Amino acid sequence: MVNLALKNLLHDKLRALITISGVAFAVTLVFVQVGLFLGLLFNASVTIDRIPADLWVTSKNTANIDFAQTFPEIAIQRVRSVPGVARADNLIVWFMNVRLPSGAQEGALVYALHDFSAWGIPWRVEEGDLTDLKRGRYFFLDQSATRRWGEFEVGQYREVLGSRLKLIGRTQEAESFTTTPIVFMDYDLAQEISPFDLAGKTTYVLVRLAPGADVAAVRAEIQKRLPYNDVFTREEWRERSRSYWVDSTGLGLNMIMTVFLGCLVGVVVVAQTLYTSTMEHLKEFGTVKAIGGGNRQIYSILGQQATVASVLGFLSGAAMAFALKPAMAKISLKLLISNQLVLQVFAGTLLLCLAAALISFRKVARIDPALVFRT
Amino acid sequence: MPVLEATNVKKTFTEGRETVEVLRGVSLTLEPGEVVALSGPSGSGKTTLLSILGCILTPSDGRVVIEGTEVDAARPGDLPEIRRRSIGFVFQQFNLFPALTARENVEYALNIKGVAGRAARRQAERVLDEVGLADRRHFLPRDLSGGQKQRVAIARALAGDPAILLADEPTANLDSEVGGKILTLFRDLAKRENRALLIVTHDPKVLGVADRAVAIRDGLIAA
Repeated sequence: MVNLALKNLLHDKLRALITISGVAFAVTLVFVQVGLFLGLLFNASVTIDRIPADLWVTSKNTANIDFAQTFPEIAIQRVRSVPGVARADNLIVWFMNVRLPSGAQEGALVYALHDFSAWGIPWRVEEGDLTDLKRGRYFFLDQSATRRWGEFEVGQYREVLGSRLKLIGRTQEAESFTTTPIVFMDYDLAQEISPFDLAGKTTYVLVRLAPGADVAAVRAEIQKRLPYNDVFTREEWRERSRSYWVDSTGLGLNMIMTVFLGCLVGVVVVAQTLYTSTMEHLKEFGTVKAIGGGNRQIYSILGQQATVASVLGFLSGAAMAFALKPAMAKISLKLLISNQLVLQVFAGTLLLCLAAALISFRKVARIDPALVFRT
Repeated sequence: MPVLEATNVKKTFTEGRETVEVLRGVSLTLEPGEVVALSGPSGSGKTTLLSILGCILTPSDGRVVIEGTEVDAARPGDLPEIRRRSIGFVFQQFNLFPALTARENVEYALNIKGVAGRAARRQAERVLDEVGLADRRHFLPRDLSGGQKQRVAIARALAGDPAILLADEPTANLDSEVGGKILTLFRDLAKRENRALLIVTHDPKVLGVADRAVAIRDGLIAA
């Protein structure tokens, strides 16, 4: 079969390039914007995702994991006494000020546990031994701290809340939504250097259930015994932490607006170029009708052109977005492009391009085949 | 038995508040293998008649029978099928698809008529050979002369073996010598394959190749 749609599309290469570029830039824009959004959300809950706790006990109305509030650490005894609880540990997550060698002061988000290995964090240790944290006034620091704290090396000292602590390890991938560097230290040390806020207090209780335990029943029992705390499943806590940033910062609205504008640009470009092309090929469409074709053939031509533009535009746009990933990583921007996102953007691109072709459909439906006789 | 029979065909158009009667009762028949020249001044209704005979327009009144099938004006959705089956067009402006080669232009028309694949390709090459363009089959229209373009258009009209060929001023955009050759070729092909050929024209040369001349004036057959 002769593919008039494809031949016509590629016959005018400049127009085809403009159409495909329009789609490609819109696709790139959507990928980058949604990818950055997902990257930020990933950071907002990365520690929740990595810590294998079935339940999280928090103080009442804690908005997200970074903005922790304290409650008495003895609450853990009540948690441990609940049937179905296999293990429960206190976790402190707390902002602390750090004095840098330059004299500047920066923030750190401290994660403090008695036994890090029991909870799988930090999950990627590049340098140092986590068990050494219990041996003195030591801490681990995530590599991502370099952009706010400057270069650092294991063996150096930093002043954390006025206490001189030695850096004995380096981690990777432990990042917070606010980009505040994450520090890992022993639970007792955290309480020692911040006695006013943390002595006798914790911010979370991590709960792992015994095999076969009923999550809802254990959760209800803990909630009953700790009425002034909240108890969340891991999924709920992840969602709560993420939603806080989406709702409170306008991040979600910003993402939706940019995606909307990206889609709009793509649709307008495709609709405009297809419509112009249709107008220029009106006589050809009339000829198609005169030689026996119907609207179905012409719709098929326009539909195929929209499909080709969307597929080529999508592939180019996706390639650009993937090419941007390493460059954005260099400036500490995480671009998350999942397979699901790729499929969704592809489906959206195809649908919107076909929708853009509808304007031309309306035009060709009214073509008078007699126009082939006009000079 | 005529392949085309138009009886008392009338056509009116409404333009704003005005109703214009373009055809006022035209009757015409075309026999297989017959070449008829239809002439008349501008605005006489030639193209409207051609559109009705080619099943592009439906008559406001009257009867059109194509190869024994009466065209039902109330069912315009049936017209494309009649065009596919029975009619081949040649236009004054050639109306070739610029993005398709000569062979693809013919092949595409065959595709629309339901012939696909190798059969379409073979038939396209055969008719291009008949019009003397076998060596130009891979050329795009922009690389062909006016006469060659019209030959491709004739090949396209012949493709699918329609019983009726309708040509609208096929020599208007060609110089006299080339126009004459095209007309002769067109007539010979139509005769050889026993197809009815109606040529709408202002060109007096057409009268020389036609079996019969029909003149139309003010929406009526004059001679």
